Amino acid sequence: MELIIAIFIGLLFACGVYLILRRSIVKVILGIFVLSNATNLIIFLAGGIKSEAVAFIPDDAESLNPELINDPMAQVLILKAIVIGLGIAAYILALKYRYFEVTGTHDLDQLKNTDQK
Amino acid sequence: MSLFAHILIPLGFIILALLIKKASIKRRLAILFAAINFLWSLTLIPIVQFNDIIVVQTGGWEAPYGISLVADKFSVIMLVIAAFIFFISTVYGAQEVDKERRKSGHFFFSFGVLAGVNGSFIAGDIFNLYVWFEVMLMSSFILVSLGGERPQMEGSIKYLILNLISALFFVSGVGLLYGNLGTLNMAHISQIIANNKEIIPLLNPALILMFVSFAIKGALVPFFFWLPASYHTPPPTVSAMFAGLLTKVGIYSLIRFYTLYLYHDDLFWNKIILWLGTASMIVGAMAASSQIFFRKILSFHIISQIGYIVIALAFFTKASLAAAIFFLVHNMLSKTNAFLVGGIIRRQTGTLNIKALGDIYRQNPIWAILFFISAFSLAGLPPLSGFAAKYLVIKAGVEADMILISMIALFTGILTLFSMVKIWMEVFWKKVPEDIAVPLPVKKRKEHWMLTASIAMAVMIIIMGVNAQSLLNFCNSAAHTLLNPDIYINAVLNQ
Repeated sequence: MELIIAIFIGLLFACGVYLILRRSIVKVILGIFVLSNATNLIIFLAGGIKSEAVAFIPDDAESLNPELINDPMAQVLILKAIVIGLGIAAYILALKYRYFEVTGTHDLDQLKNTDQK
Repeated sequence: MSLFAHILIPLGFIILALLIKKASIKRRLAILFAAINFLWSLTLIPIVQFNDIIVVQTGGWEAPYGISLVADKFSVIMLVIAAFIFFISTVYGAQEVDKERRKSGHFFFSFGVLAGVNGSFIAGDIFNLYVWFEVMLMSSFILVSLGGERPQMEGSIKYLILNLISALFFVSGVGLLYGNLGTLNMAHISQIIANNKEIIPLLNPALILMFVSFAIKGALVPFFFWLPASYHTPPPTVSAMFAGLLTKVGIYSLIRFYTLYLYHDDLFWNKIILWLGTASMIVGAMAASSQIFFRKILSFHIISQIGYIVIALAFFTKASLAAAIFFLVHNMLSKTNAFLVGGIIRRQTGTLNIKALGDIYRQNPIWAILFFISAFSLAGLPPLSGFAAKYLVIKAGVEADMILISMIALFTGILTLFSMVKIWMEVFWKKVPEDIAVPLPVKKRKEHWMLTASIAMAVMIIIMGVNAQSLLNFCNSAAHTLLNPDIYINAVLNQ
């Protein structure tokens, strides 16, 4: 299972990098979203995954088998990272909209002006 | 308890600002809160002098299970100087920022930046550090783009994309580190590494991801491209505040990480940091001398100054760490003030193209003197703060047997002097060029608060240069704590 998820993360990173190298701003923004999801999966995988293991131990549990406990911390971190990603997604789309209003283009090559002055 | 105030004061302002509609009241309130934050940070100094380290365990959860807030002497220096710069830029911005921007939340989001900066300086937990980075970044994204002018849009898109990539690197580093060690507490990680040295090669992938993220935030070569592309686009208050606070947070984290973790694997890390610092020093200064826009020269110059701090970190002796902290403080003050003077000039003349400006010295000697103090402090002329800072870095380098790097640092000083003299000659000294089609009108607008803020900063620079010894003593004891991470670990883990 780890191997499948690891390959999947690699694919997502490849897609994300491909997208942020494109000229259109919309694709760059989509690339950022893909990358941020791939990052969340890295945390998920790094925290360790076990099938059929639980994250929370019930109060009335009598014996504990460490093999059957998942670390909930990694999932908590992802939750926080997703919320931050959501805020950024909202802002970046608003910025894109405003950019389109001001310049009337999606083309990143129009961004060269600030480098000269 | 006293550490919570550094998060609660900015948050308090943000909540109040939501309730208040009138721009004039909001402005006064912002100055008041910035002053409270500064005064509160001063109260930390006697505490750390007595106790070495302040530790607060949030929610009563013992470390390493809860989130710890930690302030050692280094954090306290950074908190005090950041609070001072924020206070100055708030006073300055109360007059400089136009009413439209003030209404749409300039102070609101600048306090967001302050919350993020304060939080990063006192975070004792790497995920917490990431969250504060995000708080700071989100607010700074909005401040860069607030107003929505075309150059601002261009600058903010570059700033946004590159800083988001750095945040992604950081959070994936945090995830991998957590997967390896099962803890997020900075002191606890350091303790595990110290007890079990062969684990370091396993951690290096995660640490490299984090290092790249700090290098992007701190604008080291070759990760600096977002900085000169965006810092000259927002209003001068915003770029002055960013120049003083944001890149320094990246460097602060780098110093913290180096002294807690990376020094265990010196063979690998020391060379990387040393040569990246050297390259930043040279590239920044050379790029600065080829620019013709006031703020653009200063932006490139930030990169060069960051290089000095990073090489001082890489020398890794007590004297050099003290020099790095001293240089950081000097750089925050002088750089912010140079940007502030640029703001006054732009307000009065409407441009910052140094080819079109001229003769400011005769028209307004006060501005010229203020610029002289900050720019030549950056270049390192005595008796200003830059002289002491550069002297300390180079002396520490020679003592650590890094003669070549010290010579390069000396030589870069000449390039810096050249770019500062260039601004001085073009903007303040030469006659206004006659072949420019539209003669620039000198508009008379009120500027007394802006001048007051800038003068206060210049006075600080002079005091810091003349009375370097007392600050240096404090930096030395901060460096002592940094060099002995056991003090930090034992204080946080309560052993």
